Amino acid sequence: MPSSNPLPSKESTLFRKLLKCYEMKQFKNGLKLAKQILSNPKYAEHGETLAMKGLTLNGLGRRDEAYKYVRLGLRNDLKSHVCWHVYGLLQRSDKKYDEAIKCYRNALKCEKDNLQILKDLSLLQVQMRDLEGYKETRHQLFKLRPSQHASWIGYAMSYHLLGDFETANNILESFRQSQALVETHDYRHSELLLYQNIILEESGNYERALSHLKKFENEIVDKLAVNEKLGELNILVGSKQEAVPIYESLIKRNPENVQYYEKYFEAKEMTTEKERLESFKKFRELYPYALCPRRLPLNNATGDEFRKLIDEYLRRGLRKGIPPLFVTIRALYSDTDKMKIVENLIIEYYENLKSSGHFSKNDCDNNKPIEPASVLLWTMLFLSQHYDYLRQTDKALEFINMAIDHTPTLIELFVTKGRIYKHAGDPIEACKCLDEAQSLDTADRYINSKCAKYMLRADCLKEAGDICSKFTREGVSAMENLNEMQCMWFQTECALAFQRMGKWGEALKKCHEVERHFAEITEDQFDFHTYCMRKMTLRSYVGLLRLEDILRQHPFYFKAARCAIEVYIRLFDKPLKSEEIIEEIDTENLPPSELKKLRNKQRKAKRKAELESEQAAQAAIKKEQHQKSKQQNQETDPEAPQLDELIPEKLERPEDPLEKAIEFLKPLQLLANKNIETHLLGFEVYLRKNKILLMIQCIKRAVKIDPDHPQLFSCFIKLAKCLQALPDDLSPNVKEVVEKARKDLIGSKCSPIQIINDGLQKHANKSIEHILEGAKGLYSLDEKKKDEAIKLITSFDISKLSLVEASKVHEALGSGAFGKSDEQLKTYKENCRRHFKYAQIFRDQNESNNLGNSVNVKDVVTKTADL
Amino acid sequence: MNIRCARPDDLMNMQHCNLLCLPENYQMKYYFYHGLTWPQLSYVAEDDKGNIVGYVLAKMEEPEPGDESKHGHITSLAVKRSYRRLGLAQKLMNQAGQAMVESFDAHYVSLHVRKSNRAALNLYTNSLGFKILEIEPKYYADGEDAYSMRRDLSEIAKEICPERELSQHGKIEINRGGHEGHCC
Repeated sequence: MPSSNPLPSKESTLFRKLLKCYEMKQFKNGLKLAKQILSNPKYAEHGETLAMKGLTLNGLGRRDEAYKYVRLGLRNDLKSHVCWHVYGLLQRSDKKYDEAIKCYRNALKCEKDNLQILKDLSLLQVQMRDLEGYKETRHQLFKLRPSQHASWIGYAMSYHLLGDFETANNILESFRQSQALVETHDYRHSELLLYQNIILEESGNYERALSHLKKFENEIVDKLAVNEKLGELNILVGSKQEAVPIYESLIKRNPENVQYYEKYFEAKEMTTEKERLESFKKFRELYPYALCPRRLPLNNATGDEFRKLIDEYLRRGLRKGIPPLFVTIRALYSDTDKMKIVENLIIEYYENLKSSGHFSKNDCDNNKPIEPASVLLWTMLFLSQHYDYLRQTDKALEFINMAIDHTPTLIELFVTKGRIYKHAGDPIEACKCLDEAQSLDTADRYINSKCAKYMLRADCLKEAGDICSKFTREGVSAMENLNEMQCMWFQTECALAFQRMGKWGEALKKCHEVERHFAEITEDQFDFHTYCMRKMTLRSYVGLLRLEDILRQHPFYFKAARCAIEVYIRLFDKPLKSEEIIEEIDTENLPPSELKKLRNKQRKAKRKAELESEQAAQAAIKKEQHQKSKQQNQETDPEAPQLDELIPEKLERPEDPLEKAIEFLKPLQLLANKNIETHLLGFEVYLRKNKILLMIQCIKRAVKIDPDHPQLFSCFIKLAKCLQALPDDLSPNVKEVVEKARKDLIGSKCSPIQIINDGLQKHANKSIEHILEGAKGLYSLDEKKKDEAIKLITSFDISKLSLVEASKVHEALGSGAFGKSDEQLKTYKENCRRHFKYAQIFRDQNESNNLGNSVNVKDVVTKTADL
Repeated sequence: MNIRCARPDDLMNMQHCNLLCLPENYQMKYYFYHGLTWPQLSYVAEDDKGNIVGYVLAKMEEPEPGDESKHGHITSLAVKRSYRRLGLAQKLMNQAGQAMVESFDAHYVSLHVRKSNRAALNLYTNSLGFKILEIEPKYYADGEDAYSMRRDLSEIAKEICPERELSQHGKIEINRGGHEGHCC
């Protein structure tokens, strides 16, 4: 429907120019044109012009005015598709996609066959995964423009995404048949055929997919994809013999692909160890430089055969001096027999290399040539990594120190030494080793990154930033540059360090930065909706869509979200005072000397804070100027909405911390639901929100993953406590669910104390983590049982604990989970120190050695209190 | 160790590997751009837990003026230092080169390397048959010069498809700026 207020020819020409200017991003000229039209009193309220003026203002980054004019324009001309379209574009640039879709729909009510609006709508629909809507729109576009390739492809794709493979294939098949003869090397055609083949394969009709592939094999240029698919499909339809030569040729092409060997065995129906080992031997001869045929048989071989193969493998690696030799075989250690064989061999090498320079006595007796001197070095490195793996810190350090004495310039040795200290619980010493490694090759970013990571583990944030800045852009801080580059490992490690240090706001800032990267990566797909249709890279495009659907499954998201949830829970349990009253600590009960100290401290802190806020203010001004100059230079990208600045002081004082936690929890529940931690975190959040049904849901899901998880034991205790205190006025439906859950999850013994006693009995002398949860429960039920509870955990044989377990007990004692327990903490710490002599957390504060002046040596394993 | 063609869901982990190893970094969108324009050309090496320990990110370039032949370009190549001396970089590069010929009719592959990066230069010249074409002054953001290098792919072309003459078909892509980086 045309505008209800059409312009006469002069104004109409101006309006067309205005549209053109917007397209060309000449926003200032556009504004002038709009002004010209609006200055005619007859058209001062012309809806479409006002709307376009608004959109143009948006291009200049003047968002508020933009909304004002667009809405005004729309109000003046509700029947105009232009006004609705413009409103949609504005909302879209503001990332309000749902709203934009509504606007486009209204625009189409005014003019149902408008191609541009339909195209824009289809993009939003696929971006928002409104797949039914997408199909409708693509159908419409197909009907309007059946001659365009993109119409066919988009139409077919909309069915594919809905899982209607048959229709999708039919559309593509008709399209293919309508195409004229193809050129000999037509990439786009080739990609289209492969896409069609994927649809056939996903439909489950493998016979059909296979015959399709065979028929068009010669028209497909991506031979790797063809052969990989031919191999898979042949196996799927049972023509295994046909698959054999295909996998042989694939292995020839890339002998480092693990899957090819597995498929080859499947095709050959080789199941016995002997057959496979024979086969690997053949491949070793064919491809002497390949790693796979030497490494993979180590997984299959056992006993003497394994000993023989690993002996060859190790000798070769040590002679060549391959630093990752240990790393490549580490996975074999899950089999204790294999680990023992490796251990015996490597010790034998070491002894003989020391005495005669040979790997074995046998070599020596047979007068074999002496091994190169470097072999001893690599053997010592291997031994040190071996003992580190077994957490035999003393031995590991002994060998690495010998290796360093032998060759003091090999970076890998310092990295290994650092790792040993890290595993032994001494992040500061670990950090020093990495710093040394880093100083030996300052041009290598990998070693620089590792050093920064170790610094963050030691809570040395400033040092980490300084180290990183050697590789970040000059002129901006390392933090800023790393954020710009989406360097999530760094930001997550920062968040965890801040969390350990109790700097909640800073920790949350980093978590939110990571979350924003994920939001940005979701945005990134937008441009590819049209781009891939043009390039015809449809397989990868579907791969992108599927990736984006589960994007937040990525471990980077999980780590940041877990940290954020834990911090928000902490802030719910112990909210921070508002900034003004923070100073007014309980001063009345302090002795005068303490009071003086406190005052001094406060004065210093205040001065520091003033200085910092001054600096921050200056930085803010600079930033603003920077933004302004950016705006003037490039008129800002209208696609980039301004995000609120993340301010730690605000973040750590949220109005509703649990709602904030839930924002991070939701994606985990959707995408990381196989990770038990998701549900354990969820339980803690809903416990605090008093949502009994959601608590039950979390427990049920957790039980399915690992019914014996120690933290789940704690959940049961807490649930039982809640059930006892349930109000009577529950609705009958809720009551029914709760009763059923009580029966299913807890059984007849429903009192918390019974659950605790059962659990403690079951895990006595076996699992400290369960006992710890039980003990906490015991104390929380009855504070008089404090001594009993503490005795439960401190009497557990420390020699049977891992460092992580001992740290958890230590942390619980220090966090007040059992009330005031300073004496017990001190004793426990001393006992642990004897056992874990390298671990930082069991040392006295003043005996630990500082890395730098600004280093805050804190309990690095300490996490949020009592989750 | 496992070497395979990169998939869209590898791209984030490639970015992670890149940020750990190299000074030249890119936002995710640039990785998507590579993976969705030339899905055949990028490869990853992963350890037994599926962590990416090395990758090659590659693309096709428009022919230079006066030069009709299509060619590939290595945007970025990295192997974690802790996985060196396994020959991964060389293996990744060879797979990418073969795919350039097969899917895009490439005649040669080009790359840039820092003048100071002796290890990488060594790999390219001795193990991969690259030759220095010229020096590009101040190519990198920090002002360092780059060697512009090339490797002829006609040997690979003959090997995989002796009957097919290299043709001039195929699509040519927009070229985005960006300074690539390498370590071997």
